[in-house]
Amino acid sequence: MSEVLKQPAVVGTPRFKLSQSLLDFLPALLAVVGAVLLTLLRIQLGGSRFISDGALMMLALACYLTAAVFHLTNLYAPSALFQRLGLWSATAGVFFNLSSWGVRWIAAHDRELEIITRQGGEMPWFFRYIPFANLYDLSLAFAFGAGITTLLIAHRQSFRFLGAVTLPLASLILILARFIGGEFINLPPVLDSYWRPIHVGIASLSYGVALVCFAVAVIYLLKDGVKTEAMSIWAALFALSIFATISRFSVFAPSTFGTYSASTVLPTQSGGRMSLPLRADIPYVGWILVLGAVLLVGVVVAFIRYLAKQDETARVWGHRLLKASLLVQALAIGMLVYQVKTLTDVGVCKEGSPAGMACIDQRQYQKFGVYMAQQRGETPQQIAATPPAQTEAEAAEFVRNRSGELFLSLNANPVELSALITGLAATLFCIIFSFRTEKLREALPPLEKIDSLMYKTAGVTFAGLALLLMTGAIWANESWGRYWGWDSKETGAFVAWLTYGGFLHSRISRGWTGRASAYFAIVAFLLIVFTYLGVSYLLPGLHSYA
Amino acid sequence: MSAIEETKQEISVPTPAKAQSAPPAGASGVSSPLMERALTLLVGVVLVILLRVFAGDAMSSYDVAGLLLLTVGVAAVGIQKMLDYLSSVRFGVSLLVLLVIACMIGMLIMQVNVDGFENYYAELTPSQKLLYGSLNFFDIYHSRYFNFLLLILSLNIVLASIDRFPKAWTFISRKKLDASAHWLRGQEQHASLRLEAESRSALAERISEAFRGAGLKPVVTEKNGKSFVFGERGVWNRLGAYAVHVALLTIFAGGFLTAQFSRVGQMPLKPGMSANEMSEVVFRIDGTTGEFAPTRASAELPFEVVCTDIQQQLIRKEGPITADNTLDWLTRIKIKDETGERDALVHMNRPYDYRGYRFFQASFQSLGQARQITLSVTPEQGGTPLRLTIKRDGEATLPDGTRIAFQAFFPDFVLGARGPDTASDEYNKPAAMLSVTPSSGGAPERVFALSSELLKNAPVAGKAVAGYKFRLEDFEKVPLAHVLSIQKDPGANVVYLGFLLLALTLAYVFFVSHQRVWALVEERGAAQFDVTLGGNTNRNHLGFEDRFKRLVSAIKGEPSEAAASEQS
Repeated sequence: MSEVLKQPAVVGTPRFKLSQSLLDFLPALLAVVGAVLLTLLRIQLGGSRFISDGALMMLALACYLTAAVFHLTNLYAPSALFQRLGLWSATAGVFFNLSSWGVRWIAAHDRELEIITRQGGEMPWFFRYIPFANLYDLSLAFAFGAGITTLLIAHRQSFRFLGAVTLPLASLILILARFIGGEFINLPPVLDSYWRPIHVGIASLSYGVALVCFAVAVIYLLKDGVKTEAMSIWAALFALSIFATISRFSVFAPSTFGTYSASTVLPTQSGGRMSLPLRADIPYVGWILVLGAVLLVGVVVAFIRYLAKQDETARVWGHRLLKASLLVQALAIGMLVYQVKTLTDVGVCKEGSPAGMACIDQRQYQKFGVYMAQQRGETPQQIAATPPAQTEAEAAEFVRNRSGELFLSLNANPVELSALITGLAATLFCIIFSFRTEKLREALPPLEKIDSLMYKTAGVTFAGLALLLMTGAIWANESWGRYWGWDSKETGAFVAWLTYGGFLHSRISRGWTGRASAYFAIVAFLLIVFTYLGVSYLLPGLHSYA
Repeated sequence: MSAIEETKQEISVPTPAKAQSAPPAGASGVSSPLMERALTLLVGVVLVILLRVFAGDAMSSYDVAGLLLLTVGVAAVGIQKMLDYLSSVRFGVSLLVLLVIACMIGMLIMQVNVDGFENYYAELTPSQKLLYGSLNFFDIYHSRYFNFLLLILSLNIVLASIDRFPKAWTFISRKKLDASAHWLRGQEQHASLRLEAESRSALAERISEAFRGAGLKPVVTEKNGKSFVFGERGVWNRLGAYAVHVALLTIFAGGFLTAQFSRVGQMPLKPGMSANEMSEVVFRIDGTTGEFAPTRASAELPFEVVCTDIQQQLIRKEGPITADNTLDWLTRIKIKDETGERDALVHMNRPYDYRGYRFFQASFQSLGQARQITLSVTPEQGGTPLRLTIKRDGEATLPDGTRIAFQAFFPDFVLGARGPDTASDEYNKPAAMLSVTPSSGGAPERVFALSSELLKNAPVAGKAVAGYKFRLEDFEKVPLAHVLSIQKDPGANVVYLGFLLLALTLAYVFFVSHQRVWALVEERGAAQFDVTLGGNTNRNHLGFEDRFKRLVSAIKGEPSEAAASEQS
């Protein structure tokens, strides 16, 4: 290889160009080819002696985080070595990420192969097992989309630093996946279509590009001179809204002030487990969150005062409070994880209950009783006709009889936990950006280049989402007999697409160019995240499996 | 080869070509604005009255009030100004934002046709029901204002395209072939070189060659003793955005056709059953009582559908017939009409098409049944048991002439006062009801064949009939009925056409860019020439920068290191 490089003049121009452009994309290429090879090796060796997809995912996570640290260091203290290390750790991360996905494909196949060959059935086609079945699979692919886009963009040296922002975001998605849990599900038959790899594949790649576009938009705002104090206000409001909404609004609700409770988990007959809307209080976490909220409110107040009146003292205090809130948020997450891991018993707390017990608040019996009735298939009329005392008694009886089986798990509330970690990450980035901001701004490429990249990624996302909507429509028409039904996932993707459309048009519309269009790109990505998570966890609809 | 190197990279803020719409051309306000406004108001009111007369009851008084308000608004602003605003991109973006908000409302408030709406609706407070109901939030996507929004958006797309197309067309019809040195230095990419050459035309030819090498089609012109080389690529990209909007309008048109002319319905099918009607649940909230009151509407089909067989392929055969244990549902049907009969198979993700109607697997009625049973028949006097398999509603004959007919199946068999029945839908205590006709002739007798493990508790199966004991060895699980959904949608093909257009045009818009480069060649003494290069692009500024650098290197006669220097 080095010989070719040494004599570019001798080699004909076209060939030189080809090898050069291949070299440009070497990291991306290596990661993909390596992952394919590893997957093939998994087919050869079988599952028993091979690394599991879950372990590969954790390796990917570790690599992404390492790469992000290298990239961040490089921004503040430019060093060719760190930049290279960052690039290659990112490459390793993408390799592990895609390998995890590939190995998971084979593992899903092996799992059902056993059942079907045992009863002499015919093996369904291989694409039935492509890991696009639930949110875990999609998260793996989403993170891969973001990782590979980062690697592809890294062929321009001036944009290698992007990994400093995109890879932590990709890590957050992998962390979410970890909390969702990688159990295999039986594929709902309607999903067994060749449209699934096409549709979901496009989804994960365009979501990945959208994530990069979001990162570029944030960088754009930073370069454009948006004060990190203003960013911190938004990050603080974001974290506050997370604190306020998790645990069914219980942290700030007057009747349950300072309480954080986690969903309990019940083992099912088929060996799986289900998360119940019956929550158990986790000690200390609620109060730590309240403390964090007080600090964050302080951050907002101080920075607003600074921005409005240029009050230097307020600025200094704002930054101090921001740092303190980071510590408190980390403490809350740490405490939550510690308590969930150590509290073994779940039940109704009475005097003399053992100390290591998570308490179930009896005030939720009414709602839980209604949930139980709905699970039994009762109609709203029947439920309305049942006296509340009876509903409550049924819930109480359930807790009395089954509380021994209930347990706590980090997998019970994946979105809440990931949201807390995302709030922490947002705070952390505000602190990092606030450190020698001017130096950081200088290290970033010129504004026009960032803008150009933002436009490019948004354009690709727009085209990708259009393809996503179209393939989804065609698939829906082939499976359900209608190409568009305003299902919440459909609408969510449509809304995100419209917002990217708004971004593209804002750039040719007087007075809305520059910063305003960057805000469009940010809102659009938030809408994508809402479509990706919110629709699955909050809204009912046909896509509720993923 | 001496060269003055002056390749400053001064990129102006990228402004896509369609930037800055001209200020409102004929902004009203000068020539008798009052008269014009009064006239607009008058025409508007007359139109609304005419519309009301023709539309009759299809228009509510709210609609009339809304349209009148709109007319007043248009008259107040002035029709020219209104048109200018309607055709502006800014207005288009505002409409997008409104559409996004409306869709978000529709996502956050459960829609009337979604499963589980009844539970959701029951838990709302009366004021929520009243507020959301009166704003049509439970069915927002079919509300008039939502459709009005889509209509206005379409209008905006058409008007904005008409407004901007002529300017884009000039890139093709009137190409800019020459440029001043000053203008060139103001472009996003520019370079100035001093080169040696035999003559101006020879140098222009050399530059043309470099343009070709860089993928730009060159045109050489001369003016006032100067040579100009102009090269471009992807000029049709200037029209790409319009093509995208044509594709979008095509999709909208298809959607309109679907909304107006499509027919959908469901048809539950049991084996042996025939039907020529499909029915659909219409979800709605009763306007007067505020109750959720779904109704069923049926429609007749121009053919008859006969179900010949239904089948459910399971993953685990010992498991239940639930969706998550299913590989596929198969329904075999016969379609009869005046042209004859045809057999068809409908299974999951494989619809069947006939006369513009499509048949899909939609759902199933989960009462457990058997598609075929395997019996073990033991002679009363002892001897080797016989195994025989009988299809649903089928018959089998034993070697001695005893006839066995499979009449019915009970998944959770109970023998109640009113005869055999099932206690649940699940296969808890499966039993097959047989009719056995002895070989000797005589009347057929009813027998219940149960599985072995239940034999001792089931007195009915203990006694021998026609000299045999019957046991249910095995059976193929199948639900009571499959529900097919039937659709006729003349809009779908139009929508697909729009999709195809959209995919192609989007690819064209985002992966091709219109890149232009000019080279101005001026003589500066003996065999010395000044070359000023400048160029711009409508997108992909980073890629264009690379291309421009390669071009400059090629003109200078250097090997193309520009691309490599970007890397190191």
